[in-house]
Parts: sequence; C-alpha cells; structure tokens
Amino acid sequence: MEYYVFRNMTVERFFGNLAARFSGYGEITNIPECDRYIWWYMAPIGPRPADTAAEIDSYATSLRLVLGRIGSGKMVLALTMEELFGIRTVTSDATLSRAVERYNRTLRDLEAQDSRLKIIDFRDFIRRFPAGESIDWKYYFLSQMALNPRLAKPFADWLDNRIRAVELKRKKCLVLDLDNTLWGGILGEDGIAGIALGGDYPGKAYLLFQKYLKELSRQGVMLAACSKNNLADVREMWHTHPDAVLKEEDFVALKINWDDKATNIRELARELNIGLDSMVFVDDNPAERSLVGTALPEVCVPEFPEHPYMLPAFLKELAENHFPVYSLTGEDLAKTAQYKANMLRDELKNECLDMGDYLRSLEIRLKVREADDITIPRAAQMTQKTNQFNLTTRRYTDADLRAMQTRGTRIFTLSVRDKFGDSGISGLCIVTRQATEAHIDTFLLSCRILGKRIEYALLDHIVGGLKEEGIETITAEYIPTAKNSQTVNFYEQGGFSLLDTADDGTKRYMLRTAGRTENSSDPYQFE
Amino acid sequence: MKERIKEVLATVLKREVDDATSQDNCPEWDSLHHLNMIVEMEMAFDISFEPEEMGQMKSVADIERLVKQKLGQA
Repeated sequence: MEYYVFRNMTVERFFGNLAARFSGYGEITNIPECDRYIWWYMAPIGPRPADTAAEIDSYATSLRLVLGRIGSGKMVLALTMEELFGIRTVTSDATLSRAVERYNRTLRDLEAQDSRLKIIDFRDFIRRFPAGESIDWKYYFLSQMALNPRLAKPFADWLDNRIRAVELKRKKCLVLDLDNTLWGGILGEDGIAGIALGGDYPGKAYLLFQKYLKELSRQGVMLAACSKNNLADVREMWHTHPDAVLKEEDFVALKINWDDKATNIRELARELNIGLDSMVFVDDNPAERSLVGTALPEVCVPEFPEHPYMLPAFLKELAENHFPVYSLTGEDLAKTAQYKANMLRDELKNECLDMGDYLRSLEIRLKVREADDITIPRAAQMTQKTNQFNLTTRRYTDADLRAMQTRGTRIFTLSVRDKFGDSGISGLCIVTRQATEAHIDTFLLSCRILGKRIEYALLDHIVGGLKEEGIETITAEYIPTAKNSQTVNFYEQGGFSLLDTADDGTKRYMLRTAGRTENSSDPYQFE
Repeated sequence: MKERIKEVLATVLKREVDDATSQDNCPEWDSLHHLNMIVEMEMAFDISFEPEEMGQMKSVADIERLVKQKLGQA
C-alpha cells in the first residue's frame, strides 16, 4: 500500500511505518497515481492571526481542488488541524481558533459528501502530550517541522491504528446469488429466454442493478457468484443473453454448484485470502440468508428488497455502508467524475477551481537579480545543498562565485514571494558567455517552490534577458545524479533542442534565441 | 559510547556503519537523514544539540566528539 502525502510542513519522519511519497510544501499541482492519499496540513505559525487565518482558509480550497482531481476509487485520509502555537494578542481575539474550527468543519462537510474522504482526528493524538511538548522550535526553524520530531514514533503507531480502523469498515468482496438476484426468475427452470433481464419491468430493474454492480467492481470491489445452478447453464446464459451485463470475467470467483452456500463462502474466503468479515452476501432467498448468517456470523448479510424496483435504493445503501470508496448518487453513475466537478462548481462559485486561476490567486511575485556581496553566500549555499531540482549539481563556494563574477559570469538569483509569505532566494541560474553564445552552467530551484511551473518562468525570463543583450545561442546541460531525475526533460519542455545524449546519461542542449517568443501564458509577474 | 552512536546511525541510515562512516562516503546520509540522526542521538543520550552544532556532525568521529562534549557539560 503506497501513500502520497499532501503537506505543508516537514513530516517525512512521522511516516516511518508507511511507504509514502511527499508533495512539495503546500504543493497540490502534482497528483501522481497512488494507492491512497493523505492530506496533512498544519496550522502555519505567524504573528498576525488574520494572515494565518487566511492561509488556513486557502488550505480548505486546496483540498477541494485535490479531491476534484483524484480518481473516484481512491481513499483520501485527511487529518484535522490543531492550533499548536498562537499568541493571543488581544485576549478575546479568536481569529485563529475560528479559522482552525472552520477548516475542520469543512473537512467534515467534505467527508459527508465524498465517500473517498476519511477524516482522522489529529486531536485524538496530540492531546496526550503537554502543550510545551508538541513543538520543538529548533526543528521548526531548521526544517519547517511544526511537530516535535520526538513524537514521530508514537504518531506512526497511532496513525497505523487509525488507518486500520478506517479499513475495517470497508468490505472487500460482494458474494452474489444469481436467480432472482441478478435477474428475475430461475435460470434452470425458465431457461435463458424466460428470465427477466432487460426489456420491460422487472427485467429493466435487474439490468440496472447489474450495471450498478459492474460499476462497483470497477471501483475495486470484488464480485463473486454463489448460486445453486449448473455451471454450464450459467455459462451459456452469459454467452448468449443479449442483456447480460455481468459476465464470467466480472467475477473473481464462481461457486456455482449444488453445495451449501456457507461452505462455498468459507472456501471463497480462503481462495481469495480475505477475512470472512470483509464479505457481504446478497441473496433474495431468506432461507439462504439465514443459513449463511448463522453459520458465518462474521459475514454481513443484508436484507434483500422485496420488489425489483427497490434494487437501486438497496444498492445505494449497500455501497454506502460497506463499500464506501464508491458512493452512489441520484445522478447517472457513469458520469461520477463529471458530477463531482459540477458539484464543486456549484458550491464554490466564488472560489477558483482552474489550476491557472489558483496559481494566479496566490499572487506569486518573482524577482530575478544578479548576486551581490550580500546574496552570494546564499547563492553558494544553494549550490551546496540543492540536490533535486538541480540540472548540473555543481558545488561552489562564495569564493568560487566571486571569482566567476569577476570573469564575467552572470549569477542570477530568484526570489519568490506570494500572498502568504516570502520564500526568499529560492532559485539560481549561472550563465557564462562568449561573444554571442551563452551557456547555462547551473540552474536550480529549492524544493519549496516546485510544482508551480516557476522553473519555466525563470528559464523564459533568463532566455528573454539574454536575447535582449544580443545572445544568439544558448547551450545547456543535464547531468544525471541519483537525486535529480525529475529534471531529465526540463530543457526539452522549456523549448531547448536536444543535441546529444552521452552513455552516462548526460544531455546537451541548444536554443537559438531568434526563434524564441515570449511565453506569456503563465501567470507570473517579475518585479 | 561509540558503539551506541554507530547503532543509532545504522538504524537511521538503514545500512552498515563503521568507524569511518561520514557524509562524504555515505550517499544515504542526506539532509533528511541527518535531521533524523540528530533527533535520534538527542533521544539516545538525553542531550540537546544547538543548531550550530548540528552542521558540525559529518562523521562518526564528529558525532562522538560532540556527544562527549555534551555529556561532559551535563
């Protein structure tokens, strides 16, 4: 089970027991395919409650955006927020507490509407520790760790426990009878032409029932057939009946024989390697239900509706109670994704959904300046510490950079700030030049600002600037390391042409500035 | 004490550690693991490192020196 964690603080340490990958800080633009997602945003720490409250509100919007883009069968676990630190400047100022409350309430509201979302109460964990113990300021300033790293092991254990609790409610296998459950009538007696499936009522209702079940299976629920029938008859029906929606390939296992159903279901559990407590048995026959319910008390055996027209409501309840990764609505089930998008749009008319709008709403301001005496140390430090978004991983000292500058090398620093704060110098680009040719020796970005396409804005800006200065050709390189594979196609995507690729993976690029036009589609302003 | 230090380091880095292990010869010893290592050392010896000291611990020998210092002061 692989997790992808959306976060705004350094939390890697707290996920010791799980296989997890992490988003950038506050970054939601990249949503990789993963088994499950975790959303853990902590209250930011700052002196002005109004600012902090606004930032917290934006987190709720971000979560909605993310939910709108994650696939329908995926579980998302979101932790509630607790106020770990806040100075009450005015004794009655509850701005921050209210914002935290609002955020948690939104999480619960979203949980009620979206069955993929499971809320985990973080307070349940943090209240075990005295207030002073929840933050170690040293680590907050060193690495943006809002939670005391010593709490990592207890947290990991607690989280494991919470996840298991969430999982228990979710069943894995739906065992279905066939006659008078998936169609009207008895196949062995009425024959293929005589059963009610498709056409008018009640066949119509059974057809819809099968379609809903098929959708459920597409969401990862296993379907098994358990029926007292001749397997050959059933197979023939699957092959020839024009309205058979569920066919042999839709079932993970078939127990179509004349043995008792309890034995069959026990075998199913063993074959599928799942617990009896993760199975749901659906059969129209009360005698069969009673038998299985008594013999196998761990198996869930719901009442079956008396009339076929009650089947959709029955399935809705079944799905919501036992297979909550998938939630039926009154709308057309096949358009679940579209429905979700509409739902978000209706509710959030004033909030931005489009990624471009979202990025614009952050009011990101970029500043590119040449490094000077004050900023050279920071620039050098970045070359030493940045490993991931670093195209060439060349390490320089202050002295190196100063020497390069005296030789005419340009050292550009990128500062980033947005509505919520200033990341300071977060990017670096070192360019050497000879006549009308320039070469990008170093191009790197701090992981804090990834995921917003700022790297492309910076590249464009530098290229544009060089063009204005009369540069006609710009060359660049990608030197692979164990950590920078995410940049392997950066220059291609930035409009450079690949010249060659060496055996060790080093790539060389070129760009002619003449053909280059300004890419103004990205919402960034340079100051 | 050195054995305990190596034990903790080995657990954090999830690999074998010897007297010569350092940030230079150990690719697993990156900034994230360094932080974890500091936290684990603090807990193991019940000491607290200042941020300035954390950057100085680049090898088993460095760690031993600083831990001794801390314990001597305690």
